[in-house]
Amino acid sequence: MSSKETFDQISPSEFFYRNRDLAGFSNPTRSLYTAVREFVENALDACDQKGILPDVHLSIKAVDPEQPDPKPYILTVKDNGPGIESKHVPLAFGTVLYGSKFGLKQARGMFGLGATMAILYGQITTNKPVYVKSSSDGKIQDEFEMMLDIQKNKPVILKHETRETSKTGLSVSICLEGDYSKAGQKIRDYVYQTSLITPYATMTFDDPKDEKFRYTKIVRTMPPAPTIINPHPYGVDVETIKRMVTDSKFSIPTVDNKMIEKVRSELGLKKKDLSHTEIMDRAKKRWSALSRNVRVVIAVMSFLKMDFDKLSKVRIDDIDVSNKKLSYWDFGESKSFTIDMNPDSDYYRQLANTVQGEMLVSFLTKRFQRVGRTTAEKFVEFAGFKPEKRIGTMTNQELVKLSDSLLKFPTFLSPDPSCLAPLGEEPLEKGMKAFFNPDFIAVIQRGASAYSGFPFVVEMGIAYGGAIPPGGTKVYRFANRIPLLYDEGSDVVLKVVNETDWTRYKVKGDSPLVIVSHICSTRIPYKTVGKENVADRPEIERELRLGLQFLARKLSSYMSKRGQAEMAKKRANLYSKYLPLIAMFCTELAGKKKEPDYKKMLKEGGDTIETEA
Amino acid sequence: MKQKRKESLEKSAEEKRKSLAKLLTNKGLEIYEDIEKGKFPSFSVPSRSVSNIVYDKKLRQYILGPNASLRSSRNMSQLRSFTQLMWLAFFANRLVNEKKSSTLRDIYYSSQAFEIDFEDQPESDNIIVDLEAVLARPREDLHIFPEERSSVFGDLTIEYTVPGYEGKRSNLSDHPDGYLIGPSLSSAELVDTSAELVIAIEKGGLFTRFVEEKVDKKFKAIIIDTAGQAPRSTRYLLKRLHDQLGLPVVILTDGDVYGEHIAMVIKSGSANAAHLRELTVPDAKWLGVWATDIEKYKLPTIPMTESDIKRISDLQKDPRYQEGNWKKQLEVFKEIKRKAELEAFSKYGLTNITDKYLPEKLELAKSL
Repeated sequence: MSSKETFDQISPSEFFYRNRDLAGFSNPTRSLYTAVREFVENALDACDQKGILPDVHLSIKAVDPEQPDPKPYILTVKDNGPGIESKHVPLAFGTVLYGSKFGLKQARGMFGLGATMAILYGQITTNKPVYVKSSSDGKIQDEFEMMLDIQKNKPVILKHETRETSKTGLSVSICLEGDYSKAGQKIRDYVYQTSLITPYATMTFDDPKDEKFRYTKIVRTMPPAPTIINPHPYGVDVETIKRMVTDSKFSIPTVDNKMIEKVRSELGLKKKDLSHTEIMDRAKKRWSALSRNVRVVIAVMSFLKMDFDKLSKVRIDDIDVSNKKLSYWDFGESKSFTIDMNPDSDYYRQLANTVQGEMLVSFLTKRFQRVGRTTAEKFVEFAGFKPEKRIGTMTNQELVKLSDSLLKFPTFLSPDPSCLAPLGEEPLEKGMKAFFNPDFIAVIQRGASAYSGFPFVVEMGIAYGGAIPPGGTKVYRFANRIPLLYDEGSDVVLKVVNETDWTRYKVKGDSPLVIVSHICSTRIPYKTVGKENVADRPEIERELRLGLQFLARKLSSYMSKRGQAEMAKKRANLYSKYLPLIAMFCTELAGKKKEPDYKKMLKEGGDTIETEA
Repeated sequence: MKQKRKESLEKSAEEKRKSLAKLLTNKGLEIYEDIEKGKFPSFSVPSRSVSNIVYDKKLRQYILGPNASLRSSRNMSQLRSFTQLMWLAFFANRLVNEKKSSTLRDIYYSSQAFEIDFEDQPESDNIIVDLEAVLARPREDLHIFPEERSSVFGDLTIEYTVPGYEGKRSNLSDHPDGYLIGPSLSSAELVDTSAELVIAIEKGGLFTRFVEEKVDKKFKAIIIDTAGQAPRSTRYLLKRLHDQLGLPVVILTDGDVYGEHIAMVIKSGSANAAHLRELTVPDAKWLGVWATDIEKYKLPTIPMTESDIKRISDLQKDPRYQEGNWKKQLEVFKEIKRKAELEAFSKYGLTNITDKYLPEKLELAKSL
């Protein structure tokens, strides 16, 4: 065994550099499109979060327009969002896996990861820095010129200037290799459809051929922002539960001088010393105002029966809650001591809580959505745990059992949709009206539903006639306000549209019809890594179907009315053409001079004429 | 005696014209009054669907059954075709009154002057058949003729009635190529003939041979070239020659299933014209070429095709082929699966057909 292997840890930047296909940066065409998406979606998300009506300006310019594709392009995205504080800018744009979007609620992108990837890709292909201009206070704008140190996953600031400004916002500009001749259509579609589903935003796009696309705000109200909420029991796995357990339990603080200072200050004892009993008395009085760590130290002191001076000369080694023993090392005597803790003491319970975590029932009610005390108790029984079981004491196997039982328990309430941000019926309708200028429009927002513990809401709109060109149904698909442009063939929305018998709703195959579907969820079940098509989960399919049926019925009644009006018009035209001819022919046949009076028949015709063959 | 017959003929032709004019006027009046009353006018059109075509044994031809459909101007989807029908009656009325004739194609184009939009000629042809059915009169009565022409030759004197030729007479043996059976001949009065027989023959080539061999004189015959399936005007002429001049009609066709059916249509009409009478010569006789003649006269033959054989099977379901010689010949054709053309007799000399075959068959025909 003479071969020698070396094990090196690589930085996240390094990892993504080596695996950039995963993030959508596989070739110049795809990379340009992906970069546009990442920056635009970040800009829109940032504005959404702060309730700012977004103005997003996208520009793509060739460095050398004469050069054939693929070639370097300068991609700039500017927004009027909240900006990023100066001190966070280098990390946010110079570090992979640094972001503000962690949390359970609906957002377009995840973690803001893609933007850094785009910067990374630009740097790899053109070796040019990224320019970031940001103002978070509307007064000072910070301008950075940076590169990424890929191996260290660290930003390298080449230049940092500040200047005065009058508004907040962020502008990011990168140079990257792209192929606009191939990616152009996709990018234009993306901008068009994004502004359709974001009618409260103004979006502009200046393309490399100096074409300008302008989509101005259609509505001036923002849909309510989503809130970050606890996970639903159906939506967690063992790993997530482990993290939640760790989060909810506090370790025993190190009792060093700094900690003692903190205790003294919270007890208001900065300057004077008190005896042990006096300290305990004062702590009792001030208990509700004390921080958790201080409470733990007080609890420990109550068993040690020490004052601060003595406490500073020992080291707490172990608190064995189950055996009610506390052991410490006395520096003065150079000796270890173990004392018993009185389990009836309030302080004992305080320690137990800290070390062993909460009891299972309260863990469930506090850390999950839609779980009340009764449900939690029923669940604990269902899962075969004791209600007073403390989560900190659970073994790995018990955690797996807990996780499995959460999925199997049949009677959890359906997930809370307040973490979702559907667009809303009115903005959707207004957006579609402005985009398609149809003769008929109907929209619906279905109630919240859930699949596998993930809440989702379906919004749909249907538009017919008017400025819509004939030639069949065009379906615009959106998920979390992102347009899904490709792979529509295998998408659940297409499946539902195609399985609908449109003739039942008086719609012919080549009718000018537009269908818009918007699925909002904390997790969209995409079929592929490409994230362009949604899998046919039965719950989602059902909601889409019900939504579409509702719209189709409305369309159908419109079509009947329209059909009747058209029929009446057609009938009037036909009779005013043919009746005079019939009158003329029969007059000559009958050998009469004067034509019969057919005009009254033209008038009354409407009621008595049969329209069916 | 001949003079007397002529008078009666003239009377009937004039009567016929008058009654048609009256029929058209009455239809016009009916519709005029409907409109005056604010009622949507309609025509009752006898149904020409297969289920309404039945064979009448008494009349010995196909006729339409009792089914009729209403073509109403009240019904939006029928308004257009009602107006077309109305226009056609109006236009035919003008043709009849002005003694002008017109072809099927003319009709299609004439309609455009009145903003009557026929999509194509088949549509206008179809409306013409509708009007025939409504009035129970053939289109020739309405002065509307098809393009197809056949010819006639022999000692027959006619007198034209068409404008510009009124009273003018011709003898149909004056021109060796024969006379076209067109509108002027169809509307002419049949004045006089020495002939005692009419021979209808399927093919132009044989027609010329018959003229050259003076069959008209040798057999005292009027010879008619049907040019395949006999056009209506030819069938109408055959009927007049038979009914008005009392001449027997015999038919010579190729020795195949199509030839046999050409003879049958002259005798008892076609399903296509089931709405019309006066186009059949129920006493006409098919002389040949029979299937049995092929063997008897040792004629050179050609094999039948698949479609020939299928046609035999189709005709075997026709009620008119259920008995006698008609039935027998079909069976023999089906058995030998071969056919012979009229020209096949040329194997035995060009005049073999007129010198030998024709006299023998005419003799035989007497006993048919």
